[in-house]
Formats: sequence, C-alpha cells, structure tokens
Amino acid sequence: MIYSQRGQRFVALRDVSLDIQSGEFISLVGASGCGKTTLLRIVDGLVTPTAGTVRVDGHVVTRPGPDRGFVFQQDALFPWRTVIDNIIFGLEVQGRAKRESRQRADALVRLVGLGGFEHHYPHELSGGMRQRANLARALTIDPDILLMDEPFAALDAQTREIMQSELLRIWRSNRKTVMFVTHQIDEAVYLADRVVVMTSRPGQIKAVLDVDIPRPRDLSVKRTPRFLDLVDAIWKMIEEEVKAALRVTDDDRQITSRPIATY
Amino acid sequence: MANVAIPLELQLLQRESLASRWLRTHASTLRGLLSLVVVAVIWEIAGRTGRWPLILAPISDIWLRFVQLAASGELLRHILVSLNEFVVGFAIAAVFGIALGILIASSQAAKDFIDPWVSAVYATPTVALAPLFIFVFGIDAPSKMAVVFLLAVFPIVINTATGMSSTDQVYIEAARSFCASKRQIFTKVLIPSALPFIVAGLRLGIGRGLVGVVVGEFIGARAGLGYLIFKSSQGFQIDAMWVGVFLLAGTGVIAVSILQRVERRMAPWRQFELK
Repeated sequence: MIYSQRGQRFVALRDVSLDIQSGEFISLVGASGCGKTTLLRIVDGLVTPTAGTVRVDGHVVTRPGPDRGFVFQQDALFPWRTVIDNIIFGLEVQGRAKRESRQRADALVRLVGLGGFEHHYPHELSGGMRQRANLARALTIDPDILLMDEPFAALDAQTREIMQSELLRIWRSNRKTVMFVTHQIDEAVYLADRVVVMTSRPGQIKAVLDVDIPRPRDLSVKRTPRFLDLVDAIWKMIEEEVKAALRVTDDDRQITSRPIATY
Repeated sequence: MANVAIPLELQLLQRESLASRWLRTHASTLRGLLSLVVVAVIWEIAGRTGRWPLILAPISDIWLRFVQLAASGELLRHILVSLNEFVVGFAIAAVFGIALGILIASSQAAKDFIDPWVSAVYATPTVALAPLFIFVFGIDAPSKMAVVFLLAVFPIVINTATGMSSTDQVYIEAARSFCASKRQIFTKVLIPSALPFIVAGLRLGIGRGLVGVVVGEFIGARAGLGYLIFKSSQGFQIDAMWVGVFLLAGTGVIAVSILQRVERRMAPWRQFELK
C-alpha cells in the first residue's frame, strides 16, 4: 500500500498476509502510524490497495459490502439522527422495509444496552453510550465481519473496561469474525484469540501471538500471570519498533537535510 | 459545619417570596422591557419639545398616525404590497440560491465557472443596480422582487456551498462503509449536515431582502412601506415615516424569529454544537 501525502509518497503497508478464520477475534496492535487503520480500511473496501488483494470467502474485496461492518474510531454517528435512526441507517440505505428495520434496530438497541435512549441525539449521550450506538449501527446490517478501529480509545478507563466485557458478551452471542485495531495492549490480549503485532512504517506483520486464555474471560483474567506475560511480550516488541522508527526518522532527516540546503 | 450550613441555605430559599422569585427568573426580559420604556419616554419628551421637527415626532403622535393609517386601510395596502414583493423575491432567492450552492459544492467545474461571479457580485454593493431594475421590470412589484432576489441570493448560495463542502469526512466515510450510493450520501449526509448553514444563509438573506424592498421602493414605486417612508419624509410627515420604519423593524424581528423556530425544529442537534 503506497500513500501520497503532501507530494511525498510513502509505503504504509508492505507484504501483509493474514488468514483469519470465520468467527475468530483478531486484535491488531502496533506503534502509532504503523498502518493498522489503513489495513482495516482496505479490508472494508474504503480504500483500494496499490497492490495485493483482500478476499472474503474467496471473493476479492473492491468496495464496502454488507458482509463487513465498520465501527469507527471517533464519533462517526450522524449528529442529525437520533440513536434509533443512526442504527437503522445501514438498512435504510439497503432499501429494506421500514417495519422490519425498526424491529431489527430495536433488538440491537436492547443488545447493546441502550434501551430508553432510542430517541436521544448523539450529543445527549455519554462517550460510552455513543460507542454502544456505533457498534449497534455496524451490527444492524448483520455483517459476517466486524472491523473495529480503536472504538474505545476515547473512553475513560472504567468505561473502556465495561465496553470490553460488553463487546465479548455480544461477540459470544453472535460469533462474528472481528478485526479489532487498538493501541491498548491489554485490551488487545483480553479480547482476542490472536494478537497481530505490526512493525512501524512500512507496516508489516511482526508476529502473531495466540492468546491461549480460556473463554469466557472476565476482567479478573487481566491479573493472571499468563495474561501479564503476553502483554509484556507484546509491549517489548512494540518498544523495539518505536525505537527503530525513531532511528529511521533520524536517518531521514540527515538525508533530506542536504536537498533542502540547495533551495 | 457543613451539616449546619445546608439547612440554613434551604431555609433561605424557602423564605424567598414568590414575587422576588418571579423577578429573578424574568430579570433579563424585564431589563429589556425597561430599556425600551426608558428610550420611549426620552423620545416622547424630546419630541414634545419640538426642537427637531424633521427628525423626531413624539411617540404618541406616531401611534396616533399608525391608528389613523390602519383605520383608513392605507397601511394594510402598503404592508401587503411590500410583503408580496419580499415573499416572492425571497422565495425565488431561496430556491435558486440553495440549488446553485448545491451545484457549486458538488461539481468542481461548476464551482470554477460560478465562483468568480459570486465573489465579484457579492462584494459589489448591488443596491446600486436597483434603478436599472426599475427600468427593466417597471415601477410595480417585479422590479422590487428582482432587487430582493439579487440582495438575498448571495448569502444563501455561499452558505449552502460552504455547508455542503465542510461536511465532516467521517460521516461520508461512515455512509460509504454502509454501501450508500452517491445519491444517498448526498441526500442523507451532505444535505442534513449542511442544513444549519443553509438556514443561517436564509437568515442573512432575510435581512438583506428587507433592505432590498425598501431601497427598491425608494427609487420608484406606487405603494409599499418603503414608498410610505419615502413619500412621508419628502412631505415632512415625520410621524408617518416613523410608522413605516417601526413596521419594517417589526417585520424583520418576526421573520428572523420564525426562521429560528424553523431551525430548532429542523436541526435540533445544533443547539448543542452552537454552545
């Protein structure tokens, strides 16, 4: 994946190859700017890769489809729609019958625990509730794959933990395939079957770790030695990457300083 | 200590009489009214001295003239003429302005073609063209409608275009991830997100449109509030002139408050964002 930004081209992702089983929960972690989000956007079809393909059930992804639902990082709820109208959006766009859509949305409101807030506008909700609505909106189209881009990043620590266990509860009930991008290592380990650690730019897969902690997991798992070992191992890998990235940018500066002088 | 302080405070609240509570909750309205009354009294006194007969007529005389004009039916005729000119001119400006704004926002080519004209004409005092409109469209309503249109259309075009193109990319992307078509993104994302901008443009347009009515009628007309003001001041009937001015002021206030109500109905999420 090659990106152009301010006339400069840089390789965001290179040689990323990953097989994900149906119903699997995958976390993607890596230093910031490693292309985690780009990878997710490619899988959704929001951006087209410069090389390579994404296949879902053997079909090549070229654009967004109803088999994939995207949960955005920040507030991507439409501020002019109430919670229920936001959740219905995906079905409305598909031209589904109003009554059927409404029933499905009502069920999801209950699933994510937003009962009683259907007719509130996003600005009337707390950050945690907004992300619940965001999740429900992605789930309405009943996608096979959920792509989640740091959905809990803006939440405070307590709310984030609650949302993590809520997400696991929901995932247990519908067994979607999930690709979950986060920069919280403990969040990645707590949620996932496998954690994919990415290198710094260009983003490559550095390691894939199996999280062999039995499910269902509750929050006390986060204090077990196995959990802490995994977090520690991942943390070390990312630390190496961050250090490497800093060295690279230093080198860049030395190289680019010469042409700048000729201006 | 805190245990003592809380009941004390409660007692104080209870002791506050109903009258003083009413005063406290309506304080800003009352101050506004007081301000109006004070100015009216000063105006009345200054008018009664008769030192500035060409500028100030006493408020009471203006009121009497208002009653007289209203009773004869003349006032209603002027109001209806101006209202008709304003409403038609403004409605055309709203429809055309929103359409043009949408066009500018959705096509780069259209923007390149139209933009220089919009910025050039918006920057010139188009009121200067009003006499020309009288020549072209005659002395009756159509010329005034044209002036209203010309003055009101630009803020509407510019606000619509700005509103559409300043739509947050996140919302467009979210819609795309749900496989929304171009058309659906347009109607379900771009338009609602631009709505508050459009309403603000309409509000600016109202103010400018009212100016258009008055200026148009100053230059050439046979009826209307602007005509009433112009004719009265020419004939040194200062009280009648003020009747026209006050009615125009009232119309502006009412029109803007109607639009604010419309905005609150159509864009209830904005009240939060505006804070």
